[in-house]
This record gives sequence, C-alpha cells and structure tokens, in this order.
Amino acid sequence: MAGMTSSPCDIGELMSAYLDGELQAGELDHVVEHLGGCTDCILEFRHLKEARAAVRTLPRLEVPELLAPSFHFGPELSAYLDGELPTEEQTQVFSHLQTCEECRDELHELDAARAAIRSLPGLEPPVLIEVHRGRHEARHFGRRGRAVALAAGVAAAAVIAVGVAGSSTPETTIDLDSFTNQHVARASVEAGFTVIPAVGPVGLEP
Amino acid sequence: MADESIPTWEDVARRYGRKIYNFAYRLTGNPDDAADLVQEVLLRVRKGLASYTPGSFDGWLWRITRNAFLDGVRRNQRRPTSPLPDDDRVALAPSPSPDEVLASVRLSEDVQSALLKLPIEFRECVVLCDVVGLTYEEIATAIDSPVGTVRSRIHRGRKMLRELLTWPV
Repeated sequence: MAGMTSSPCDIGELMSAYLDGELQAGELDHVVEHLGGCTDCILEFRHLKEARAAVRTLPRLEVPELLAPSFHFGPELSAYLDGELPTEEQTQVFSHLQTCEECRDELHELDAARAAIRSLPGLEPPVLIEVHRGRHEARHFGRRGRAVALAAGVAAAAVIAVGVAGSSTPETTIDLDSFTNQHVARASVEAGFTVIPAVGPVGLEP
Repeated sequence: MADESIPTWEDVARRYGRKIYNFAYRLTGNPDDAADLVQEVLLRVRKGLASYTPGSFDGWLWRITRNAFLDGVRRNQRRPTSPLPDDDRVALAPSPSPDEVLASVRLSEDVQSALLKLPIEFRECVVLCDVVGLTYEEIATAIDSPVGTVRSRIHRGRKMLRELLTWPV
C-alpha cells in the first residue's frame, strides 16, 4: 500500500470489521495472514484503531435538566442497591441520584424495605422437610418474590417440624397421611414445596 | 431490552434517553439541536408504541431516531453537511511529520469537529457504532441498508476521521 488513500491490498474495510469483531466466517484468517506480512496495512490498521478510539473516548454527556423530568428511574433502583446493574447503567443511576430528590427518596424507601427483609431471623430447616426451588420458580419469581416465597416455605416447614418433633412416635411409625392432609391447603398454595416423608413417598400436588 | 416485551414510554425515556441525547449531540454538534432531537424522538416513540409489535426494539428505536435526525437536517440546512465523495479520498495537506502525529492528542472538541465534517451517511454509522454501541446488524436495521453498506461506511468514515484529525484543515 503506497499510503493512506490508495489501497492495492484487498483487506481495506475488513480491517474496520476486524476491529469491531464483525468479520464473517472465513475472513478472519485472511485478514490476520495479510496483516502479518504487510507493513502498510499494519500502519493503516493502527490509524483506524486511533480513529475508532477517538470517537469511543468522547465524554458521555448527561441529559440536560430541561429533559431530565422524563428520566426518573424505577425498577433499576433495586438492582442498583444490589449492585446488579451493568457498569454503565450503575454510573448512570449514580449520576442521576446526585440531582434527583424524587429518585433518592425512592431509593431510601427501597433500602429500608430491603434492610427489613434482611433482618428477618434465619431458621434451620427440619430434617424431614425438603424445600425444592426449581429453575421454574427461580424464573417465575423476582428476587424479592423468591425471598418471600423461601421465607414462607421455611416458616411452613418449621410449623410442620414442630408438629413432628412434638410427637413421641418413633420415626418409622409416623402416619403422615393425616398430618399432610392438615397442610394440603397451605402446601397447594405455595407451589414447589414438597413434604418428603420418612416412610414411603407422600407427594403433595402443587 | 427484551425483544418480547413492549416497554412503556417512560421506560424508553429512562433507559435510552442518555444514549439518544449522546447520539443526537454527536450528530448535530450542539446541545440545543440535540435536546430538540431527543424531544422529537420521544414524541415519535410515544406515538409509535401504540402500534409497535414486539421484535427488535433497538432496531425500531434507532430507526426512529435516525429518521428524526434526517428530517431535521432536511428542514434545517444550516447544519454542516457534505456530499458523499466518489471514493474515500479526502483532500489533504502533505503528510505530517512523526512529531506532528505524536502531538495530535485529541481534544474532544477536535473529534466532534471532525465528526461534523463527515458526510451524514458515514457520520451516523460511526456514531451508532462507536458512541451508541450498536452492532453492524443493528445499524443495518436502523438505517435500512445491508450490513455490507454499514461495514463500508464505518470503514470509510474512520479513514476520513483519522485524516481529518491528523492534518488540521
């Protein structure tokens, strides 16, 4: 290649696509091989990389106050609290919170609610009870929904465990039929929790 | 944003407002025109959401944004534009010395100024790629052109940009 503006080589625009990871199948080997032996194209490749970097490092501008009322955050605030936002969005929310009292108030309320949930005492699961949390439920419930469902499940399990523990009947002679019947309504509401008896399977329909 | 969901207008404003504003600013080069464009885009989104069918939301949104920009350019010819060249050559001064190249630390104003000298077709592709962060496929949807055209415009745009930044004009 004689210079930046004449191109006897045939990889011209492939170099930009290479920079962007946008080459089609079969093109990558050709570009890499050519760049390995053509100093002019290596130079042009560096120039393209500089131009790309110049645009990509332009400062990201904040939306002017004039338009800001349209840009309050909602569901992102919970994810922000939990550090679950992508970096760019986390920065965006942080910047917005510096100037938006409404979103700050909302964030404080969410933080208080989160702290209240997290301060609930932990409970030990009983031996005879197994709580299933399948993939389906994980998708179905949101983060907070899962926490509430899990807490409710643990509480239900604790109630059942107290009943079992209160009996002096040996484990091998437990009659779970009547016991589970008392809890069918509860278990059927809270789909996904299954009573695993010591003798024989006693499943509850979800 | 998930393709299967239809966002509310508030979602769009909140999630995309900053990107639309940055796109608008880099294409127009001034904050007033950028703010006008953002408002115009959000108005069109508000109207368009009623008939939007789930699909590539980003493609739909950036097509609206791009069309709003082009409509603005047509209405207001005071914006700096230049015709598409026959090839990707730019009239340039003699090549700079290595020292001049080394000294070419870019100020964002220089880059912005150079962006505005690109033909609109190149500028929008470069900005959608390097400012907004769209893939070639998403850009192709936004500008309603084949991916090969996107690839060519980004490459030629970057070459021109590099030359404009290296040799002051």
